[in-house]
Amino acid sequence: MSFVNWIFLLGGFAVVGPVIAHMLAKPRYRRVLFTMLRFLHAGQTESQSRRKLRDLLILLLRCAIIVLIAMLFARPILHTRRGPEEGRSVYYLGLDNSMSMAYSDGSGSYFGKLVDSAVDYIRSADDESMFNICTLGSGDWASDLSKEQALAEVKGLRIGAVSTNISEFFSALKAARGREHSGDIASVFVVSDFTPNTLKQLIGVEETAAVENVDYKLITSSKPINNAAIVDAGVNSIADGKLTMNVTVVNYGQIEQNRRLTAKTGTSKSTSIDTNLSANQGRTYQIQIDTGFGGEEHLFLPVELSLSAGDGLKEDDTFYVGVSLPARKSTNVLLVDKGGGEVFLLRTALNALSRANSYETLNLKQVLTNDLTLSDLKWADVIVCSAIAEYLGETAGGLKDFVREGGRVVFFVTEEPSSEAAKRLWDEGVLAAIPRRFFRERAYLEPRPCNEQSLGIDNVAAKVLTNYRVDRIVLTGYFDCEQHPGSSCLWRLQNGFGFVYLKRLDSGSSVFVNTSVDDSLGALTKSNASVAFCRYLLGQTSQIGEYCFGCDERVMLPAYDMKAASDGRKQFWVETCDGRKRRAALAESLLVVSDSDGIGWVKTLSKPIRYAGVNLPKGETDMTKPVVDEVAKIMHRMFTPDRRQDTAAAELLPEKKQRPVWKMFAWIIILLLLIEPAVANRLRR
Amino acid sequence: MKQSRKYLDPVLLSKLANMNLVAKCAVEGFFSGLHPSPFHGFSVEYSDHREYHPGDELKFLDWKIFGRSDKLYIKQFEQETNATVYILLDNSRSMSFAGEGSVSKLDYGSFLAAALSYLMLIQCDSVSLILFAERINKHIPPRSKRTHLNVILTSLQRNKPTGRTKLADVLHTVAETTKRRGLVILISDLLDDTGDIYQGLNHLKYLKHDVLIFHTMDHQELYLNYEGLIQFEDLESRAKIRTFPQSLREAYRDSVSGFVDEINRTAGASGIDYCLLDTSEPLDRGLMAFLAKRKKMM
Repeated sequence: MSFVNWIFLLGGFAVVGPVIAHMLAKPRYRRVLFTMLRFLHAGQTESQSRRKLRDLLILLLRCAIIVLIAMLFARPILHTRRGPEEGRSVYYLGLDNSMSMAYSDGSGSYFGKLVDSAVDYIRSADDESMFNICTLGSGDWASDLSKEQALAEVKGLRIGAVSTNISEFFSALKAARGREHSGDIASVFVVSDFTPNTLKQLIGVEETAAVENVDYKLITSSKPINNAAIVDAGVNSIADGKLTMNVTVVNYGQIEQNRRLTAKTGTSKSTSIDTNLSANQGRTYQIQIDTGFGGEEHLFLPVELSLSAGDGLKEDDTFYVGVSLPARKSTNVLLVDKGGGEVFLLRTALNALSRANSYETLNLKQVLTNDLTLSDLKWADVIVCSAIAEYLGETAGGLKDFVREGGRVVFFVTEEPSSEAAKRLWDEGVLAAIPRRFFRERAYLEPRPCNEQSLGIDNVAAKVLTNYRVDRIVLTGYFDCEQHPGSSCLWRLQNGFGFVYLKRLDSGSSVFVNTSVDDSLGALTKSNASVAFCRYLLGQTSQIGEYCFGCDERVMLPAYDMKAASDGRKQFWVETCDGRKRRAALAESLLVVSDSDGIGWVKTLSKPIRYAGVNLPKGETDMTKPVVDEVAKIMHRMFTPDRRQDTAAAELLPEKKQRPVWKMFAWIIILLLLIEPAVANRLRR
Repeated sequence: MKQSRKYLDPVLLSKLANMNLVAKCAVEGFFSGLHPSPFHGFSVEYSDHREYHPGDELKFLDWKIFGRSDKLYIKQFEQETNATVYILLDNSRSMSFAGEGSVSKLDYGSFLAAALSYLMLIQCDSVSLILFAERINKHIPPRSKRTHLNVILTSLQRNKPTGRTKLADVLHTVAETTKRRGLVILISDLLDDTGDIYQGLNHLKYLKHDVLIFHTMDHQELYLNYEGLIQFEDLESRAKIRTFPQSLREAYRDSVSGFVDEINRTAGASGIDYCLLDTSEPLDRGLMAFLAKRKKMM
């Protein structure tokens, strides 16, 4: 015997409950004063043993019921010997439940047609056949199903807010085929709308799977496709309290679209504009929303953009984006150098950054290391040290106070740093890492600094930096650094050495960059990433932020001002798209939501309220009809009738027939449930 | 219950504070239901005349009156028996048992003893009351005066359960200390070794006493009608037993029935009258048994 969902067998551990209850339960006796005790003695021994027997029997019955229920949920399958001539039909159904299947042309939805096709296909199979059903969208597998189970599974399918994922079906199919027996006849049946996104994935699959029969059903409409979608939206500018957004609308169909685009936030009236798109045309529209934002306080707006009704797929007509409008402020950046002009490039980059961002003003000031005074520290919001020079060791205490009060200090390191100064800074907890041994070797940056650990520095800045090909930037040398116990490495070099380290100290932070200003910025400037890199180093941005994610991405909410209000909490309650409460983990300055479950809004449930929009993945809503011959060609390329390559492992398996026995289990449970009170009462007499 | 029997209901009697009232109520309630009266006609001292009715014995005809008036009258005589009755009432702790909704065995026995005393003192018998448990706790010597009733009833009213039952010793003591033979009425639950009890009773029989046993038992003791899980605690020994009474009810009833049958059989073989009294039933069975016994003694 085997089990389809063996994980449910763990439910059998619930027998511990009745066993413990049996051990702990003490019978409650009523006290009665009596006289004829000598006449009670005769039946007493028999009565006690009878009671114990009754308790044991009832306990065994209850344990058996729990274990059988657990086994029932695990869907038991009985393996019996198969006759030599007996062959079994095994069906693999790949059913597309991605969001594009919600398309309806007036004669029913694609998904309804898919369910009908799958049901007809299953009904036409033999009663002894076994079915394996995979949803191409959510990637769920239901294996070793009987005909009735397969029909129930298909009828219970739902559309997921996801895009098609063919590769998962294909690899799982190959693995399942390896578990088959040599006499089995495998058939594949794929039902999908074969949108361009799906076809692209099918073409990308290089391997083939060997099956006896392959069949597919192309679900498409006989009418011209009628679908337009909002595929992207972003902030263009904000002026005089009016937020201008760029909204990209694409007509994926063959019918001209004249739709009304409406933008609304939670606080202001909605604004609408007319859109006009001919067949297969995409355009970016600018829409203005009056937010009343004056720049004094940080404002966070949920912006919902929607097209008026009128096409076959309404799920892609709405786009959700959370917009962060920080209060306007100026940042004082103090550049500390040794007098060699090494911060020239950095200063240039910061100037460029200040010019590029009309929203935030950067005030730059440059001092020599030896001239650094306490008044300079008081003036600055950010201090950038071009090297760990001797004098910095003497100001370690002042730098520590500066960081603790919310300041940010960035240390670059030259080939020969002052070990004494580095040691003092390290001891004060200001230095995130201490340089040990210098390697004069060429080193490249890892292309993506924006991993989970680096999110804390500034997610937006990190995302922007990934737009540049930083993996081509070469450094002339680097240090083997020892990381401070309280710090984290945000970015590494391709050879594994740490590149950027971050250490938080109270409300401030310290950044250590494993290269000199010249080495890093000199190289970065050539790649045009210098401004983005400066933005990354300066930390928490005061730029306008946009928070919108695909439903297959991990959703993150900005939480840089939550840490102070969290009282040390690491988790917050958020409401996900399905309206349910979930916990989100606080990772540095972001709240990470593991499962957004659908499309719509993810928002925090406690103040400050933050929003992130969750939308359909790009491409999923492209409903362009496929070429039938192309689909046939791809399907026959993927699934070949030659199964010799796949049967080597299968032939080692014994020739056995599998029978689902869940019905028998259900009857046994019902019988035991009926017997249990009868046994209890019978033994009481 | 007939109207006259309601005065014999032990629960009703238990509500009467005065034992004298209890005795009167029981006896007169009992006799109001009987006809004809068994009191008259068995003594030697003249009491009264009444008209002759067919069926009356001719030896009691007053021929002198017949000669004078030509009418037939029967002579009636006051009873004058001089019998001595020893009432032995068990007041061990086991007698304090009372099932749900009934009086205790001790109360029931007290009512019975009071009624019998009242009855016998009316008949001018000498009545002695002996209260006992492990030994004799109180001994009121036999007297036939009417005022003696007050002494007996006061003792019964003040009687409290105490000690364990040791019936055999008590019976031997009674046998050895009684000077006159008479009627020994034993009111007890007989929860002692049966062999010892028989020896004691035989001792009394050997001394030519007439013996009448009122075996008082509670309804629950007879039938064990308890339900659920119960911890029984012995009133005398404080021993405990936890059990499901349902599961051993049949065996219990068989044992108790065997116990009662054995006493009945053994007592009958020794010429001892035995009467099992259920405390949930009225007192008339006891009184009736007494009168039957008394009649036999005439």
